[in-house]
Amino acid sequence: MAKPKQAGPVTPRPGVPNDDVSFDGLAPGVCRIATSAGVALLAVSVGLGATEGDGFRRFLHSYLVAFMYVLSLGLGALWWVTLQHLVGARWSVVVRRIGELLASSMPALAVLSLPIIASVLLESDRLFPWVDPSFMQSQSALAAKRPYLNPGFFVARWAIYFSFWTALGYWLLRCSLAQDATGGTGPLDGARKVSPLAMIGFAITATCASVDYIMTLDPTWYSTVFGVYYFAGCVIAIHSAMVLIVVFLQHRGRLTRSVTPHHFHDLGKMMFAFTVFWAYIAFSQLLLVWYANLPEETVWYRVRSQGSWFFVAVVLVIGHFGLPFFGLLSRHAKRHRASLSFWAGWLLVLHFVDLYFLIMPTFYPGGVSWRVPDLTTWLGLLALFVADVARRARGRNLVPSRDPRLAESLAFENS
Amino acid sequence: MTVHDEPPPRIVAPSAPVLHGLLAEYDDAATLLAAARRVREAGLERWDTFTPFPVHGIDQAMGIRSTVLPWLVFAAGVTGCLVGLLLQYWTNAVDYAWIVSGKPFWSLPANVPIAFALAVLSSALTAFFGMLVLNNLPHPWHPIDLEKRFARSTIDRFFLLIEAADPRFDSVQTRAILDETGPVLVDVVHEDTASPFRTPRAVIHGLVVLLVAALVPFGLLAQARATKSRTPPIHLVRDMDAQPTVKAQQAFPRFADGRGARPAVGGTVAREDQLDEHLTRGTIRGAASRVFPPTVAADRANMGAGRRAFDTYCVPCHGYVGNGDGMVAQRAEALAQGIWVPPTNLNQDHLRRQPVGQLFLSVSDGIRTMPAYGPLVPIEDRWRIIMYVRALQRRSSATIADVPAAERKALE
Ligand code: HEC
Repeated sequence: MAKPKQAGPVTPRPGVPNDDVSFDGLAPGVCRIATSAGVALLAVSVGLGATEGDGFRRFLHSYLVAFMYVLSLGLGALWWVTLQHLVGARWSVVVRRIGELLASSMPALAVLSLPIIASVLLESDRLFPWVDPSFMQSQSALAAKRPYLNPGFFVARWAIYFSFWTALGYWLLRCSLAQDATGGTGPLDGARKVSPLAMIGFAITATCASVDYIMTLDPTWYSTVFGVYYFAGCVIAIHSAMVLIVVFLQHRGRLTRSVTPHHFHDLGKMMFAFTVFWAYIAFSQLLLVWYANLPEETVWYRVRSQGSWFFVAVVLVIGHFGLPFFGLLSRHAKRHRASLSFWAGWLLVLHFVDLYFLIMPTFYPGGVSWRVPDLTTWLGLLALFVADVARRARGRNLVPSRDPRLAESLAFENS
Repeated sequence: MTVHDEPPPRIVAPSAPVLHGLLAEYDDAATLLAAARRVREAGLERWDTFTPFPVHGIDQAMGIRSTVLPWLVFAAGVTGCLVGLLLQYWTNAVDYAWIVSGKPFWSLPANVPIAFALAVLSSALTAFFGMLVLNNLPHPWHPIDLEKRFARSTIDRFFLLIEAADPRFDSVQTRAILDETGPVLVDVVHEDTASPFRTPRAVIHGLVVLLVAALVPFGLLAQARATKSRTPPIHLVRDMDAQPTVKAQQAFPRFADGRGARPAVGGTVAREDQLDEHLTRGTIRGAASRVFPPTVAADRANMGAGRRAFDTYCVPCHGYVGNGDGMVAQRAEALAQGIWVPPTNLNQDHLRRQPVGQLFLSVSDGIRTMPAYGPLVPIEDRWRIIMYVRALQRRSSATIADVPAAERKALE
């Protein structure tokens, strides 16, 4: 329970007493390193992709995994900030700005999504087999999906998703920055009012996006819980990412007093809860498919339970659920930066394995076919994502310092 | 948070007041926290604090060690999970092994929900009751409840009580310690000599009666199991076995004509009615027929329908060409449980020579371990299936001479 102490002194110049909440000093360095790393890694990936001599088919597969990874960070942040406004959270005020900066990355993500959209517009079946009309006519079940699965509507949906997400992220950040200027909760009213509808809109768009970009790789396969599965990954990823970001900032002398073990504890609780949630959803999907034993559904698991893919599945069960479950169970693990950031990093890596497992077996049913671009594309897009966020953080406070609830958040105690 | 070990001695008659402890009252949480730290440093053990809301840091100030409850809950959760798995393993794979839709007897995915639910149930119950037991709850009375001022502990005051039972308690010194901590007031709390400690007789009698009454249903159950009765069982839920039935030749007023026995619905034939011996039983004057009934002509349409029906009903066991290697058979073979009778290879010589009427009867009524398909497959379709089986048999022994001359060229 949060215990109100004395009202926090609000200085006219935005800031938090006894704490450095500005990113300005770090921004140029982070931007430079991240941008050059991102560009270099992507160049390596493209170069290696060209040597495959398959018209960048293999590269696009790696790219899709990497893109869904960074998209999950953006979507997770969008959800998280909306949620904080929806429930009027007070504990999270000190880390809310970081979430907002991450959530407003949608324009950059839209740019990063262009190769995928291009593959559809160029009528190439490098990613999505449904682009080919004759394939869609080959089975009656597929012909029935034609009204949804066609390049025109696909691109229209893409436009809807990204405009909605961009608008929402921009709006959430704008309200919060307005508060930095004027103080008071008034500026946040806008964010609070849109949050219920935004949440519904988010649920629909995020579900459809995960279906569009991952599930339709195999157009005959379907799972009604798929959107939730991807969402669970987004939530784990965003909390883990926030932990790592704050630990990095504290390492560089920022936010050292604002973010306390109590806040880490809460971020850790969310990581723990959604690790369990992920397992719950993943298992629900498996159980229903396993029980019903319908050919059009089991094929997805059949591919993933044979050969080296089965090994990846076991890694996920143990690494994405078993180990972090026990690792994050204790409150000490969640309150200590070293252990919490270890698990945050761990989950972020396993999240990549999870997406790899969702996407790649469809292309390579025979077994894991690992290539260097799988790694470099992922890290490259991640670096570009970081650069984009860091660029936006420049000249802005890392904490909404004139939020009246900041004092409560600063004094927040997690018993 | 209170820890009170043994109940105070029972005092029957009012006598000289017995000291229970010293109660200090504070008007804010910070002073209480400081006081708690001071009392703890003084080495006292039997004392407690009372606050109107949870005060952060009070645990550390009082030196309360972290509870074992999480470990109990964890152990209970693991136990529940294992019990759930064991229960299902034993019932499904040992005690009553039964194949369900071709899955292994003991299949882990199906067990997860129950193991999960039992883990949650046992840890939740352990958390709840463990919390009560570790806190010595329920604790319906306490001497400080008699202090009028103590009522404010639920409103706006903070209290600290040191029990006289503490080994280091000393009415003068302890009081001095409390006085130093800046209380609003320090009060002496006496043992409760006014309230009746004895449980009223009526309550005890009532409990005994309840206990005995609670045994009655069990007695009745035991009696019912050991004796026989002519009266029908009591039905709380009136399900299908309590529906009205009409015996043959009985009157039944619900029907317009008042008869209980119903004439056949117009245009239908009862299963036993043998209109056409050849068609329904595959026999001609009692002997298995070697020809198909005239209503089932050997043409392309019938053959196609026969193939569709065969692929639907027979292929899972007998396989696509009738060799007995269907998926069910393969699966059962792989399980290697030793109780499986493999489906017959339909292309064997003795079956090839068997009259079609007899094949038809095997399919209609079932044969040995193979179930009957009469109730499932329409009669003409059964004949068409046999027609297709014949085609399969023919196929398995085909020679080049069977290929029409025109197409033979292409093969050679
Ligand atoms: C559930 C599995 C199963 C299915 C489905 C099934 N069978 Fe059988 N069938 C068997 C088994 C097992 C036997 C051997 C029975 C035995 O020897 O105990 C058998 C035996 C037979 C025989 C041999 C009878 C004999 O005289 O020895 C014929 C003919 C036959 N099946 C035809 C069919 C046809 C036609 C169908 C489709 C309507 C069919 N079966 C569907 C399991 C099956």
